[in-house]
Amino acid sequence: MTIAFFLLFSWLMVTAKTRRQLVALTLVGTIAATLVAPPPAQAQGTLTGAIQAVLDVINGTIQTALDSLNAVRGAVRAFYQSVIWPVNLINQARAQVTPMIGQYRQRMRDIFESDVGSATLAATGQLEAVMRNKQTSDFNAVTTYFRNAFGPIPADTAASPEDRAMTDMDDALALGSLKTLKASDAAVDLTLDAADQLEDVASEAAPGSAPFLTAAAVVASIQSQALTQKMLAAELRQEAARLAHGNAERKRLTTNTNRLGDQIINLLKRN
Amino acid sequence: MRKAIGQGLDGAKRSFYWACDHKIRVVVLALVLVLLAPQPVKTQFIDPCCAIMGAGLSSISSTLSNVIGGGLSGILSIERNIFDFERDIVWPQRLIDEAKGLVGSIQGIYAQIESVTQIAVNSATLASTQQLEQNILSRDSAQIGQTGGHYTAVYGPVPGATSAPVEVRNVIDITDAVAQAAMKRAIQIDHLATLELEAAERINRSIQRAAPGSAPIIEAQAAAWLIRANAYTQAAIADLMRVRAIDLAGAAAEVKSGATYNSALGQQLIDLLKRQ
Repeated sequence: MTIAFFLLFSWLMVTAKTRRQLVALTLVGTIAATLVAPPPAQAQGTLTGAIQAVLDVINGTIQTALDSLNAVRGAVRAFYQSVIWPVNLINQARAQVTPMIGQYRQRMRDIFESDVGSATLAATGQLEAVMRNKQTSDFNAVTTYFRNAFGPIPADTAASPEDRAMTDMDDALALGSLKTLKASDAAVDLTLDAADQLEDVASEAAPGSAPFLTAAAVVASIQSQALTQKMLAAELRQEAARLAHGNAERKRLTTNTNRLGDQIINLLKRN
Repeated sequence: MRKAIGQGLDGAKRSFYWACDHKIRVVVLALVLVLLAPQPVKTQFIDPCCAIMGAGLSSISSTLSNVIGGGLSGILSIERNIFDFERDIVWPQRLIDEAKGLVGSIQGIYAQIESVTQIAVNSATLASTQQLEQNILSRDSAQIGQTGGHYTAVYGPVPGATSAPVEVRNVIDITDAVAQAAMKRAIQIDHLATLELEAAERINRSIQRAAPGSAPIIEAQAAAWLIRANAYTQAAIADLMRVRAIDLAGAAAEVKSGATYNSALGQQLIDLLKRQ
């Protein structure tokens, strides 16, 4: 490009006819050459200043920022290790679990499992044993021993239909409650097993694994609450039946009183 | 060859004479040539500018290594330390897996418990009592509508207005109402307890899939369910208390009516004796 320009310019200079053309070419050529010419070299003083400026930025702004960042991360580490998750307190919390297991678990189990059976006769002893054995596979035996202890429903020739219905309902709900309680006794043992397992794992838990245990414990509480509700429902049925039984007797008393009054009036009328 | 040399010399002579005749043009051409000529390349070894640049770059490199590299190394060291601490002390994968495994194990225990609670406990032997028992053990709140009919079939209706005094009818009716309501509440509570067990199983499955950071959210949900379950338990206890309260009130009502009847009977006997 530069060579082409120079050749063209030289040819124009050689072939210029008049002085005016020569002056014009000289001006145009000089200006164009000045514009096309390579830039002058930088002064040495400017280069040193630029390097020093870069060094100043590194030693000033960047170093300060890195120092601050370092200090903050160091503070975060110290905060984690000494305030939020101090290892000594984590170990202390874990260490507390095992002695408590040793101190309470078996003792409470022994208290809970001590025999509370109190029947003295053969028939009642059988019923008491079967209703406290925490088994759910022998409900038929509960019915049999219950009948042995409390007697069967009267035959239809031996009692009024109302009496038979009420005694059957009373017996049914009493038996239903006893069976529900056998199931809930079994559930209590399993619930205690779940609590033991949770406590065992808590003895070696970490802050990050503990939320799983607490969540599982809360869910187990919901399940225990549901079982308590089932027991309460059984008790409600039983209490409702007892109330209904008393009320049915009240109804019958009213009927009998009316009948007796009528009979007395009839008797007096005859006399 | 000689001819060519001769022509060359002639050309040179003509150029020289032209240059002598056009000195200004030659000066302008020379000036433009100087301006356009490429700048000489500076050697790396003897040019002082390169030496200064080399020293400057070396200084920058050294500063970068010391200041930035050193600072970053310090931060990296702390970050590694924090990472190790969090990985080994706060969130150790082995213990997280162990806790998740325990959740599965506890879920197995409650599955056993749930199957135990599903065993039938019905025991009635007569047709009417079997219907009532089946209804109140149904765990299905949709069957509450039939409870009243089955109840009346077993325990009888409220006496008619001509069969009993209004006070007695009132006591009988409220007692039947509370007994029936308790049986209906028992159906509701059984149904709710079954749903709570279902929900608990779902929440347990969520815990097994959770991360340490999401487990507290699931725990919060489980806590909400626990509060709800407590509320239902309270409702059941409230109905139980109502049953006992009405039982007590019924016993008191009997004493009251007995006193009234005794007084009336005494007055009637006195009147009878006076007549005789």
